[in-house]
Amino acid sequence: MLENMVTARHYEERLQEEYLEGKQPAFDISAGPIPGELHLAAGHEASGAGVCQHLRDDDTVTGPHRPHHVAIAKGVDLKRMTAEIFGRETGLCKGKGGHMHLFDPDVNFSASGIIAEGCPPAVGAALASKKRNEDSVAVAFLGEGAIDQGGFLESLNLASVHDLPVIFVVEDNDWAISMPKGRVTDVENGAQRADGFDMPGHRVDHDDATAVYEAAGEAVGRARDGNGPTLLEVQVHRRMGHFMGDAEAYRPDTDTERAQHLDSIDRLEADLRATGADEGTIEEIRSRAKERVEDAIEWAKEQPEPDPEEAYEDVFTNPPDGYAETLRGGE
Amino acid sequence: MSEDLVPVDSAAVWPEDAQDVTEAIVANWFVREGSDVEEGDTIAEIQIEKVSVDVPAPATGELVERLVDETEEFERGDALARIRPA
Amino acid sequence: MAASDGKELTMSRAMVDAIAHEMRESDDVFVMGEDIADYGGIFDSTQGLLDEFDRDRIMDVPISETAFLGAAVGAAQSGMRPIAELMFVDFFGVAMDQIYNQMAKNTYMSGGSVSVPMVLMTAVGGTYNDAAQHSQTLYGTFAHLPGMKVVVPSTAYDAKGLMHAAIRDDDPVVFMFHKRLMGIGWMPAPEGPKTAVPDEDYTVEFGEADVKREGDDVTVVTLGLHVHRAIEAAEDLADEVDVEVVDLRSLVPLDTETIVESVSKTGRLVVVDEDYRSFGVSGEIIARAAENGLSDLTAVERVTMPDTPIPYARPLEQEVNPGTDDIIEAVRSVNDE
Repeated sequence: MLENMVTARHYEERLQEEYLEGKQPAFDISAGPIPGELHLAAGHEASGAGVCQHLRDDDTVTGPHRPHHVAIAKGVDLKRMTAEIFGRETGLCKGKGGHMHLFDPDVNFSASGIIAEGCPPAVGAALASKKRNEDSVAVAFLGEGAIDQGGFLESLNLASVHDLPVIFVVEDNDWAISMPKGRVTDVENGAQRADGFDMPGHRVDHDDATAVYEAAGEAVGRARDGNGPTLLEVQVHRRMGHFMGDAEAYRPDTDTERAQHLDSIDRLEADLRATGADEGTIEEIRSRAKERVEDAIEWAKEQPEPDPEEAYEDVFTNPPDGYAETLRGGE
Repeated sequence: MSEDLVPVDSAAVWPEDAQDVTEAIVANWFVREGSDVEEGDTIAEIQIEKVSVDVPAPATGELVERLVDETEEFERGDALARIRPA
Repeated sequence: MAASDGKELTMSRAMVDAIAHEMRESDDVFVMGEDIADYGGIFDSTQGLLDEFDRDRIMDVPISETAFLGAAVGAAQSGMRPIAELMFVDFFGVAMDQIYNQMAKNTYMSGGSVSVPMVLMTAVGGTYNDAAQHSQTLYGTFAHLPGMKVVVPSTAYDAKGLMHAAIRDDDPVVFMFHKRLMGIGWMPAPEGPKTAVPDEDYTVEFGEADVKREGDDVTVVTLGLHVHRAIEAAEDLADEVDVEVVDLRSLVPLDTETIVESVSKTGRLVVVDEDYRSFGVSGEIIARAAENGLSDLTAVERVTMPDTPIPYARPLEQEVNPGTDDIIEAVRSVNDE
């Protein structure tokens, strides 16, 4: 679990460096080696790692627009994911998806850039599992801003009424871009939403990966045993802006500083030391994680960019003869 | 005569929390050379890292010269333009 | 129209000017949307409004598009004039019922007894590698469904005039602004959208296309960002082909007359659209030109996004998003026929 978290943190910090390269002194979203927007999840590690520790490859995870830490915890191929983020041909999605839209069917992971819209497909994966009498489960990750969205609320009801093996994991970092939770959401504790749908709801405070691991173990076990869905809210903190380029002028300095102090990784390391882990082991985990991240980034940057013609492929599984020509507007 | 011209001083609008940053760019000019400006009017927008800052005219008069082009870099303290006071 | 001497505004500042003016004039005008208060709109469409107006009138809302766009419909039917921002047009899907079954249809279904005087403003367009869920224009989708007026400014002057007209209009107006034209520091605009803008209020009437460049040989009809790419293409071709560039500005109502007039002069039509190719704006423009002057048409071509989702990697997006080169090629091709 620690290794996943340290990998995710180092990954985000390194991506930030790579992304900002070429964007100095002025921030130009179109410049630098990584295309598009970039939403980093530094400070969110406890949720992805604590939950995915209980999952198998055949369990489904749908991620939000801030997906890297969850993808890493779920076992998504780090090299191909990195190549995707750099927009390369050998990326997970051949450079077509990008950092918000990662798909790795080998471990049943996907992500979507539309708020809360990963929830219904997770319910669908759970439905498929139930119909086939399998014991795989599905997990949808979303932010606290997403709990006011219809796609989430409707999914809770559908999952509950059919007792589907799905877990909704809300990552509460207090901020929906610039909007503090108190201004836009009626409840302080998002897990309360579960009450209205007759399902268990738990909140884990303090970026506490160990507590997330325990709560998720119960929820995943319940789902695997055919006892239906659970809503889990995890307190996390946003250590970086909503997206790279967000100056966070709306955010009080005290809040930004607090996010740096409440660190899930420090907390987990302290837990491990308290239970007898020695410094050498922790250091070894850290250096292994760093090496893996560096390898992935180095590999990704060596990969070729896609051939422009690739843009016309994959729009249908089996396009009719000449369809690519039609797309291009040819005769 | 140049000694009569008022410089538009970039350091004057530098935000306090960006004091450790020395470079910025001009994101937008809102007046062309030769235009009349009034003291306090926003005449340009600069971008310091990710923060946009409006630049007010330091004097009323004619903006005779823009010294930094749009998307061009400059250093804190550079004059962005010169105004001939009315 | 006479502009303040030598002063120019970005498109975002021009829009904010119009909104602030209308809010001062009437307490019925207010803005709601995600990140429109302290943030000032992700693409600066409401930048600075919170300095002048309070949070009751510059309202951040939950990420609940169905609820807040529907609430705008309800408030409008109650006589207010809400401006609701949909952050990216791509997000319309989660609230489409409120947009096309309520906002667009209530006036008609009520036999004209209900009006919905609201503005739905939304950011459109790509060119910065934001991939399939954040880069669409969807001009054709909104223009296709009856009951909504749809406008697309390409300059600050037009943006301010269209925004004044949109807020004052008694029908629902979809105001689609291209991100790349707003003049945001982190997404530099091309030459062109920043224009002189009068301090005072004025309207740009809906249904009036604007000939942004006159020419005798080939008509290029376009809108939004691609107005500027078409003008660039026209300038590049100046020694070779005399290109007329028609900026639609308004899709509903559509100024068929200006298109037909131009095509009757040139006989050659190129439609440039950042939206998907099939069943959209480009097909509609060509149909109108054909319906109203088939005999004038010598050659027609369209330059559009192909019928694929929008890819992420730079070479892929560049391939699908119509560039100045693509426009030049199409103009040459119709000119040679």
